[in-house]
Amino acid sequence: MDLISTKWIIHLLLYCLFHGVSCNSVDQKIYIKLNDTVPCVRLLNATHQIGCQSSLAGDVGVIHFLESEENLDWVLSTGPSPPYMVILESHLFNRPIMMKLKNSFSRIAGVAVIKPSSSPIQGFSPHTTCPNENTGVYSESYDPTLAHCNTTVWNPIGNGLSYEEFNFPIFSLKDDNGTEVIRQCYLNHNRVVNGSAPSYPLCAMELSSHMHAVTNTVTCMRRSSNGAFSLNPEVVCDPLGNNNVWGSTKSLNNTATGHSENETVVIAAARLDSRAFFHGISLGAESSASGFITLLAAAGALANVTRENHPPRTILYTFFQGESFDYIGSSRMVYDMEKDNFPIDLDNIHSFVEIGQVGLHNISGLWLHSDPVSRRNNSIDTEVMSLTDVFQKVANDLNISLNLSDVSQPLPPASFQRFLRSQPIPGIVLTDHHTHFTNRYFESMYDNTEYLNLTFPADLPPEQQFTYITDTAKGLAKVATMVARTLYKQAGGADEMLASINADELTVAQMLYGFLVQTKNPWFEAIIIPEYQPLLGPAPPEYYVGVITNNTFTTKLVSYVLANLTGIAVNISRENCTNHREFADDAQSTDMNSYLWVQGVTPPNGTEPEGYCVRSTVRLTQAQSPAFLLKEYHSSNYSTWSESRWKSNIGARIFLVAGHDLEMLTLGVGVAILLISLLLTYFVNSKADFLFSSGREPANATY
Amino acid sequence: MTASVFFGCTFIAFGPAIALFLFTIARDPLRVIFLIAGAFFWLVSLLLSSLVWFISVQISNKESAPQQKGLLIFGVVLSVLLQELFRFGYYKLLKKANEGLLALSQEETMPISIRQLAYVSGLGFGFMSGAFSVVNILADSVGPGTVGIHGDSQHYFLSSAFMTMAIILLHMFWGVVFFDACEKKRWWCLVIVVASHLLVSCLTFQNPYYVGSLVPTYIIMFLMGVWAFCCAGGSLRNLKLCLTCKDKDFLLANHRPR
Amino acid sequence: MNLERVSNEEKLGLCRKYYLGGFAFLPFLWLVNVVWFFQDAFIKPAYTEQLQIKAYVKRSGLGLAVWVAVLTTWITIYQHYRSQWGEMGDYLSFTIPLGIP
Repeated sequence: MDLISTKWIIHLLLYCLFHGVSCNSVDQKIYIKLNDTVPCVRLLNATHQIGCQSSLAGDVGVIHFLESEENLDWVLSTGPSPPYMVILESHLFNRPIMMKLKNSFSRIAGVAVIKPSSSPIQGFSPHTTCPNENTGVYSESYDPTLAHCNTTVWNPIGNGLSYEEFNFPIFSLKDDNGTEVIRQCYLNHNRVVNGSAPSYPLCAMELSSHMHAVTNTVTCMRRSSNGAFSLNPEVVCDPLGNNNVWGSTKSLNNTATGHSENETVVIAAARLDSRAFFHGISLGAESSASGFITLLAAAGALANVTRENHPPRTILYTFFQGESFDYIGSSRMVYDMEKDNFPIDLDNIHSFVEIGQVGLHNISGLWLHSDPVSRRNNSIDTEVMSLTDVFQKVANDLNISLNLSDVSQPLPPASFQRFLRSQPIPGIVLTDHHTHFTNRYFESMYDNTEYLNLTFPADLPPEQQFTYITDTAKGLAKVATMVARTLYKQAGGADEMLASINADELTVAQMLYGFLVQTKNPWFEAIIIPEYQPLLGPAPPEYYVGVITNNTFTTKLVSYVLANLTGIAVNISRENCTNHREFADDAQSTDMNSYLWVQGVTPPNGTEPEGYCVRSTVRLTQAQSPAFLLKEYHSSNYSTWSESRWKSNIGARIFLVAGHDLEMLTLGVGVAILLISLLLTYFVNSKADFLFSSGREPANATY
Repeated sequence: MTASVFFGCTFIAFGPAIALFLFTIARDPLRVIFLIAGAFFWLVSLLLSSLVWFISVQISNKESAPQQKGLLIFGVVLSVLLQELFRFGYYKLLKKANEGLLALSQEETMPISIRQLAYVSGLGFGFMSGAFSVVNILADSVGPGTVGIHGDSQHYFLSSAFMTMAIILLHMFWGVVFFDACEKKRWWCLVIVVASHLLVSCLTFQNPYYVGSLVPTYIIMFLMGVWAFCCAGGSLRNLKLCLTCKDKDFLLANHRPR
Repeated sequence: MNLERVSNEEKLGLCRKYYLGGFAFLPFLWLVNVVWFFQDAFIKPAYTEQLQIKAYVKRSGLGLAVWVAVLTTWITIYQHYRSQWGEMGDYLSFTIPLGIP
């Protein structure tokens, strides 16, 4: 064969290899893999484990669509082919049914919840009734009458499902084609006809979400670092954590940590994160997004006026991550301040304003909460009263209805409580609820844009949705204006400047769109650094705090928005910008400010976006609980939440299962055939010479 | 479906083959070598036929189902013909090797007869053919599910195992008849062997109507078995004597060594 | 090694070496002793060294039985109680199964 045809054959073979053949393998005949499933994962704290666990290879159960609570009997006792995989419509996903399923877990292989397109009317909150009750400021020693929500139950709808431990996997399925396939399979094979049990083969589902960590954080951290014998200890859990974002109206020297002389600060705080029962699908529109978007808008409103006429006190904007898990971010910042690891410390704090859940203020109005115990001190009490007076006056000017809650009522769950644990500070928490939360979907997957009434007219294309100013945006802009003016006055600013402080409605609308609908929009594209452009997509960002090794994009986004709203553009080259070199003295640049080279917009007659350098005071600090820093994993003072690790084979699939009898029959037939053939062969072999002897000549032994 | 189905189907498919291997081949190293060589020859024939089929599929129109079905039939027929061709090639090779072995060895008689070679090579072809037929299916039978969610028959695993058992035994019988026909230069026997192989392979196109493919296959297997028995030197008289345990008496009477 | 072709003195020497070696925390040597020399010690017709070989095999068997008992007991206790021992159990373990206490 000559060289040319050899080459041709080789090329042909390579071409065939790369283009593969689609195989109709046996696996595709048996299983249908389900897409779009969200598992519930295991989280651990110092004493407990919560969440769900499956077996190593997944749990298999016969599918049963639960129609009502009475139908549970089939699954729990009368059904003839346990274990069952219970599929619930979301209105049946409540505490009584889940507890019954939990208690008879020998007959339950797992639960799948179908996520509906609309939220349950009566409200649903898998969080506890008293969020963060053990790590707030209200403890037995602070004030026994206020501890454990004795006077005010903040989340009465809460059923605590997120904090229960389940021995079987629980998945959430989206209500779409995949669920239709399951329903079809169920109707074809598993239907109970005239009271008689359905016959094999039955439709079954396998859920696989094996978690590596067990018992509690102490155990799992010990096992992760068991260096005594293992050469390469396998890490089984990671602490929850992220980064806090903070910025200030005046540059603070970042390297001069500890108490700062002649510096008084007003802290304006909001929280960034939220959670749901299932892993990472929480949007937290009302519980957290409304708060931090309002604070961002207030920061934007204050940017110009504080640059030109800086008030006597500095305003420090802080955005805490991990607050749903026992105040991870705020406890860490307080710890840093106590240990002189932060540019200011607790004595520098003049007062504290926190923006809680404010999204539903048009239903229940706005309320101010304060801490009754610290107000027993007269100086703190006068400070709080003057702060509330400022709030009232500003609210009156803006025609906003603002009310004060009773002095004896404790603070709702807020980052401010962690600051109070260290030191009494005058402060106010602004929310839209008086006693219990107005939010009926606190920390659940239903706390979404619909609940905030963030709806756009149906015929509007996406590019115009981005700039459409909804009523929600207008409302939040008003609240932001009120907060901004109050902060300016509280920081000692002049009354004449107040009227010029206004939050921009368009900015608020764009923030609501970018943070709650989709991250890919022109404004975000212009204000983030070029390296992160691929991370912008058609979905909103994730608000689950995540593990410390995973620096979520959400925190970065908030820091870029804050930098854009409070920083200014400086005319330095890209290289100098990324090296933080603005002034001749490098130290002055990095100590006082942070620099970002952002992508910018494409000019009208150009093709490439023109980037520029933004100088701001925005910084990120680590938001990991001090318990992990100090390695006190059993701590009751700090958050000890950690998340288990898992292998990547989390998923769900459906298939048919055959009866046990048929399987045993197959095995029996196989063994019988093997034994018979062994016997026969032995028999024939021993008589082989004789059996095959005819036609052979006697002289030759072999033929 | 689970471990029990896996083991059940494995025993059904490979039971007779394992029994034959254990009792007749395992003790003689020469037979083992020829068995493995036979398996390799079958493997090469499959490789060639699958290469041709693969190339033809790439060239063809992938969307058109009748064309793909036609290509599959073409592939099956080609594969059968190639297998028989390689069986013939193996026969020629063994004839040459036997002469060489005789020259090398010290003894006067051949260490292994052509009849035994026929049986061993047929079994080798059968082993490899059975492995390729059923190993993929067995691997998936270990999982928790069974075939059927898309409407296929539930008896997929079981019928595949039975088909494989029939194919392995058939290859062994075909080997015996084929070599005997080549020795005695009876070419019409060869044609019948190839034709029956084609028939059995094409019967599988009846699946999932398993009765239509399994029953005729077993009938053909039984007939080929009888024919192979006769070719190997057996006869009805010997069988009857064996079964009634009169063989020892017969041998003693005729002064034949056992 | 085929014991048929070894002289009786060599057999005795081998048996003794394996018996003594087993004391170095190597119970498998005793197991080998018992299995290998069982036929020579008890079944074969008598020869001069058989008494000594018999003694060695018996003692190896005894040592083996003790080891098996101790190991079985320890393994049973460990498998049963490791999860309850908490920290101590983890320190004793070389590999810890994932996902179960």
